[in-house]
Amino acid sequence: MRDFEEELRRALARREPPQDFALRVLAMAGSQSKLTALAQLRLWFCRVPMWQFAPALAALLVMSGGGIYKQHERVAHGQQAKQKLLTAMRIAGSKLHHAQDRVFAIERREMMQ
Amino acid sequence: MKRNVFGFVMAVALAMPSSAFQNVKMPVDLDKLSERASESVDVTLDSSMLQLASGFLSKDDPEEAQVKKLVSKLRGVYVRSFEFDKEGQYSPGDVEAIRSQLKGPAWSRIVGVKSTRGENSEVYLRKDGDQVGALVVIDAEPKELTVVHIDGPINPEELSELGGHMGIPKMRTHRSDKDQSDPHREKKEQ
Repeated sequence: MRDFEEELRRALARREPPQDFALRVLAMAGSQSKLTALAQLRLWFCRVPMWQFAPALAALLVMSGGGIYKQHERVAHGQQAKQKLLTAMRIAGSKLHHAQDRVFAIERREMMQ
Repeated sequence: MKRNVFGFVMAVALAMPSSAFQNVKMPVDLDKLSERASESVDVTLDSSMLQLASGFLSKDDPEEAQVKKLVSKLRGVYVRSFEFDKEGQYSPGDVEAIRSQLKGPAWSRIVGVKSTRGENSEVYLRKDGDQVGALVVIDAEPKELTVVHIDGPINPEELSELGGHMGIPKMRTHRSDKDQSDPHREKKEQ
């Protein structure tokens, strides 16, 4: 009988928890609350009919599509203007040079005479 | 009342920049030449289009960077160029419509070359104060007609820096200076 009492006392004796016990408990509690938030969101999505998102999605698509098209158009316009400018500069430069060359040719001829 | 209106008109006219009276307009008849031309180039770039085009010129490319610098102060670039299969497709009146706009006191012809073969080259400058405010080049050949109008302050040094790039030959500025000293310089080729 005494042995039994001794064993019982030993089994019920106060023991200190491991050092990281508190941290582990807190970590578990945190992940539980995250899961709950995710589950809540999922639940809300399931409850709201999907067609209610359609107008918002359509508006978003139209807006982003319009933005992309405008940007594309601006780039195309800009590239076209750049090409025109370079062409204009080439023609201006070559015609100026042409006029200058003719003046020099005449001057050379006059000097030869 | 009449005097007030006259005064207002005079005030507005005086307040306008001198360049407003000296803008060169490409005649409508000139644009019609494209119907007869085998090849034509029509470039009309006003200041907003020049700004847009300038935004797409690369700073890393030395040639484009120079054009960007040159264009930054310009108000417009206008080019009409026509190539024809046969002679006589444009009339002297088509050229005269441009030339008549350059007869004002602000404009001076720095180069005028005429040849018996019907090849005429003319370069006109407009002075805005100390600097060149605009440039017009008319190149008329039997089968080709080109009119270039560059509106805005053009620094001859910057123009010479552009030379040697993009197929534009290098300008000889000392010659140009000499040419400018005689505003009515005209040469005749045989």
